[in-house]
Amino acid sequence: MRPRKSLSTAARTAAVLVAASLVLVGCGRSDDGGGGGDKAEDSKAIAEGPAEGSIEVWAMGTEGEKLGEFAKAFNEDNPDAEVKVTAVPWDGAHDKIANAIAAGETPDVSLIGTTWMGEFAESGGLDPTPEGIVEEGDFFPGAWGSTVVGDTAYGVPWYVETRVLYYRTDLAEKAGWSEPPKTWDELTKFAADLQAKGGAEYGISLQPGQAGSWQSALPFAWSNGATITNDDGTEYTLDSPEMVEGLEYYKTFFADGLSQDRLLDPGELENGFAKGTYGSFISGPWFTGLVEDAGLKPEQYAVAPIPGKDEAPGTSFVGGGNLAVFADSDNRDSAWKFVQWMSQPDVQQDWYTTLGDLPAVQEAWETGKLADDERLQVFGAQLDSANAPPAVPTWEQVASVIDSEVEKAVKDASPVDDAVANMQSQASSIGTGL
Amino acid sequence: MATATPSRSVDPTRGRQAVAAWVLALPFMALFLVFTAGPVLASFGMSFTDIRSADMRTPFAVSFVGVDNYLDLIGNPLFRKVAFNTVLYVVLGVPLTMGIALAIAVGLNRITRLRGFFRVGYYLPVITSIVAVSVVWKFLYREDGGLFNTVLSWVSIAGPGWLDSTALALPSVALMSVWRNFGALMVIFLAGLQTIPKEMNEAAEVDGAGGWKRFRHITLPMLRPTLLFGAVITGIGYLQFFEEAYVMTHGGPLDATRSVSYFTYDQFSFGNYGLASAASYLLFLAVVLLTAAQFRLLRSKD
Repeated sequence: MRPRKSLSTAARTAAVLVAASLVLVGCGRSDDGGGGGDKAEDSKAIAEGPAEGSIEVWAMGTEGEKLGEFAKAFNEDNPDAEVKVTAVPWDGAHDKIANAIAAGETPDVSLIGTTWMGEFAESGGLDPTPEGIVEEGDFFPGAWGSTVVGDTAYGVPWYVETRVLYYRTDLAEKAGWSEPPKTWDELTKFAADLQAKGGAEYGISLQPGQAGSWQSALPFAWSNGATITNDDGTEYTLDSPEMVEGLEYYKTFFADGLSQDRLLDPGELENGFAKGTYGSFISGPWFTGLVEDAGLKPEQYAVAPIPGKDEAPGTSFVGGGNLAVFADSDNRDSAWKFVQWMSQPDVQQDWYTTLGDLPAVQEAWETGKLADDERLQVFGAQLDSANAPPAVPTWEQVASVIDSEVEKAVKDASPVDDAVANMQSQASSIGTGL
Repeated sequence: MATATPSRSVDPTRGRQAVAAWVLALPFMALFLVFTAGPVLASFGMSFTDIRSADMRTPFAVSFVGVDNYLDLIGNPLFRKVAFNTVLYVVLGVPLTMGIALAIAVGLNRITRLRGFFRVGYYLPVITSIVAVSVVWKFLYREDGGLFNTVLSWVSIAGPGWLDSTALALPSVALMSVWRNFGALMVIFLAGLQTIPKEMNEAAEVDGAGGWKRFRHITLPMLRPTLLFGAVITGIGYLQFFEEAYVMTHGGPLDATRSVSYFTYDQFSFGNYGLASAASYLLFLAVVLLTAAQFRLLRSKD
């Protein structure tokens, strides 16, 4: 009896599975474009007049904690509106937004990490930016580029960050450098001198692959004219002589022992920089606080733009956060008015004073505190020459492919041109997802 | 229920009993169907489609791709590498964990003094958080100033960067897992050892069997069911290894410590829900096969 019984259970399970698969067969995609088929035509203008009603906003990290208080100023001109800010932790924010979009239960506005734009826009969750809300030319071009998916803009850049060269001025002086390096040749010499004459154990610290190393490796390829996708973002164009040359150059730092070739633990870089283990490194604006907390005096270090291949300025990475309005927003027009208000130069300056986020609007850099801070002006100058990763839904996956191929190239597990060809073939098979 | 009816005559209370049984079982059945069986079936269905995170608003508007996801995985060099890593981890970890646990259990079974103290000591790593342990071991393994290399330097050996070498990283992570996991097995083995009647050992001793012979021909056979249980739970745990690599090495260097679970986790975060589901079902299949093999190998021969 028993075997028969278990057989029939198995048969029933199989029947359920077959039925389930048949249901799925019956479905199928309506078009090859995926979820957000109704783009572009949706970007109708918003109504005139002040904002009203409740505007629900999600923001992550310290932005989320501080925005609620800050947004009270919005009520001065919009007395009938109420901005409700929910602070969402960065961990899990991506999934929370994805779930909200899937369920159709979104807030009105949210801070969206620049690398998530492609995915959320493609899923049809974001409202295209209406005409006349903001001027594209007011923003840093790289930051604006992060909002454009396909050829439609979804949302507006809020704050930006970019990567520059940090170096120990005291060690550099000992090594005979009073000015930072401006070209690739100079950078190599600079790192070698910091190591040989300046007393640093490593002249520079670069990431040898893994976890986000594309952010430090790709700027060298970008400075050399390499691109990630073609102009309309439909195809990856990673395999180019410029990319190979850029990575060959990146690799020399590890091959010549100018940079450590292991992954640093959190906290190791700023402490090592303060101790003089690393003479220089490339990172974002938050490191000024970190290295000073690690005990470095402000006059002991300086920042400089990323060196270009030759005289032309180098191209860095631009990241940051965008403000987007959801397609399911119940209060769309007022939500866009809030986003518009956040993009005004004086509001952006106030936000910088509140939290230290660098403004995405160029005009905000021309007056006030930002204009007087020499160190920040370096970041401002670098932003004019900085690329954002393409806003495509599959970017995170392609980025991890680049990370692991960079690691193979740097650690000599495969020649650079093979690694680049491998990047290209994997990225092509993943596709842009648009 | 079935045992309640000794004869074929109809018991008048039987119908009511059945109703009561169903009513009592219903809350669990409902929860099980909605929160366990449903998602399991849904993810199994997903593994045959090209569903991505961008499809979440229209989950049924995806294409059925048959076993393409499974074929993609088998053809994917990275998946083959992570599958190899996972197998290596199991092959290194399970026998070592069981061997050490058994040796210590046999030792502790002999002593009476301080047994409680040692039992607590060996069990302690099991109740600590994997993440905390991994962070600490990461520092122990460090090339400069790590505990292991400091000890090695006393005998003038320059230790390597344990977690920075593609050859040593996986064995190093496995070693930490062995240290963390053998305590649980030791407690189970110790309980198993105490069920072996003393008389058997004494009789064998009278017959002139030495320590090794008694271990080989009495302890091991008597312990077989316990060993099977230990092998199954350890094997399942080791096949699913993830946190250790996530904290200590991020799957590197050069994917040397990336496991199947890690790969699946990555695919889910890339939004490839279909492919990720397929990868988890392959892992599930591996768990089933390993468990079946262990049952075949260790079941009592009667």
